[in-house]
Amino acid sequence: MRIESEDDVVLVRRKVRELAQARGFDSFACAAITTATSELTRNVWVHARRGEARIEELAEGDRIGIRARFTDEGPGIADLERVLAGGYSTSKSMGLGLSGSRRLVDEFSIDSVQGKGTVVTFVKWKRF
Amino acid sequence: MRGSIPILRIGPVLLATVHIDLRDAVAEAFQEDVLTSMERTKTAGIVIDISGLDTVDSYVARILADIGRTAGLMGKSAVIVGLRPEVAATLVRMGYAMEGMRTALNLDEGLRLLGYRVARV
Amino acid sequence: MTYRGYVTQLKLDDAEIQRRRAFFELTEEDLARLAALRPLAERYTDAVVEDFYKLLLGHADTRKFFTDDATLRRVKRAQRDYFLGLFVGRCDAAYVEDRLRVGAVHERIGMEPKWYLGAYRRYLELLFERISADIHDPKQARLSYESLQRLVFFDMSLAIDTYIAANLETIGRHQAAIRELSTPVIKVNEGILLLPLVGAVDSLRAQQIMESVLVRVIEEQAKVIILDIAGVPVVDTKVADNLVKTTAAVKLIGAQTILTGISAQVARTIVQLGVDVSTMHTMSSLAEGIELALSLVGKVISAKAG
Repeated sequence: MRIESEDDVVLVRRKVRELAQARGFDSFACAAITTATSELTRNVWVHARRGEARIEELAEGDRIGIRARFTDEGPGIADLERVLAGGYSTSKSMGLGLSGSRRLVDEFSIDSVQGKGTVVTFVKWKRF
Repeated sequence: MRGSIPILRIGPVLLATVHIDLRDAVAEAFQEDVLTSMERTKTAGIVIDISGLDTVDSYVARILADIGRTAGLMGKSAVIVGLRPEVAATLVRMGYAMEGMRTALNLDEGLRLLGYRVARV
Repeated sequence: MTYRGYVTQLKLDDAEIQRRRAFFELTEEDLARLAALRPLAERYTDAVVEDFYKLLLGHADTRKFFTDDATLRRVKRAQRDYFLGLFVGRCDAAYVEDRLRVGAVHERIGMEPKWYLGAYRRYLELLFERISADIHDPKQARLSYESLQRLVFFDMSLAIDTYIAANLETIGRHQAAIRELSTPVIKVNEGILLLPLVGAVDSLRAQQIMESVLVRVIEEQAKVIILDIAGVPVVDTKVADNLVKTTAAVKLIGAQTILTGISAQVARTIVQLGVDVSTMHTMSSLAEGIELALSLVGKVISAKAG
């Protein structure tokens, strides 16, 4: 899904919520997935103005999950370590959103090159 | 955009109910509306009902906390009611505490925090 | 579970398929021999399928799976495809996926291994008859039958694996239900809830406790919830952290938490977390906790007059 406007943040969030609910994730897991998605989508919008969100279902072993990948060609993240440790607190910063999202999901990975772009991926498995 | 979320005046307090899917622009406009209302009317404060929100991310949380802090600076109070269990759990798990914002279980409790209660006439 | 789920769960990648084929001694030669039998198979498909279902419909236990004509027709069609699939001369990922799809269907309708093992036996018997009758060279006939046996047993292993995988999923769901039941929240008084935690608390249970607490507090509109942890044998930093988070979440929804049953050891663990404990209500005994809870809602226990 393209992320090219503020409305897209809401659309992506809605889409991921629908999927999570349809796959039977409980309300807490849905909230976690939707909030993490909202944070990461907003990051793309605010910092890169353009990007893409890819949501897919996973099936592995006796569990199902949802994977979301957020890609942009924005300025990239300088000082990734500090940002992930949750250091920043300025209102438009990526920091809180990134470190917060990471705590909501089961798997989290981020690839960012300054000046080139960023890819953030997370996976949340359905808990039985 | 301004006025998307109606703010009611019930005697000495204000009441606003937020519905789902708060777009950024709507959230910011709401913040403006709340502060303007509190400035214009003689009120003890506002109760903001967010029981309709199924997602509160750091951005919305910050706006709500800002409303709380600004109201405090104006000598008024802002109280949030209706936080859903999954929203509370998510905020805490992310590491946010929504400092600067008072919360209450329901409208009754919210009014009590503002120094009022509902009574029969 | 979908058949695709089984493919990933059973880790049936090419390497695993090769390993399994090696153990069942299922070689390319066998597959080539089976492919050569295809014309014969096509001639007898209908008869074999009819005979096969005569067995299934002839027993009360298996008849119940095929109650109406539409189901029976559909299943017979699927069985035809299955049967002919044995003579395609291929046993790769695509073949396996296909077989798993069939397995998934049987699992969904509730057919247990004993029934389809019995059915497979009949299959082999029917085919033995046909092969013996049609291939006159005894050595060829024996080799053909052996190849068929290898593939059929290979298929059976997939069917059984599927069945086990489905059961594991059910067990997982039941475990979830059991966890739900083990966090009983008690209403002590108007606006006061009590959750006595008993037994080990792992991180999954801890998450669940927070969730149960929040849901019940809102359901009951309770102003105070008492979490008694005297019955939890080990409270490590993870559990302590979860308790602190639960307290924070309850505060966020406008209620208060009182932690009771806190031993000196646990108190030390919580302090070591480095969180702000000044706003937390804690008591070492449950009785004190209840008294505090009552005072928080504006009540007090007093002796009866007279």
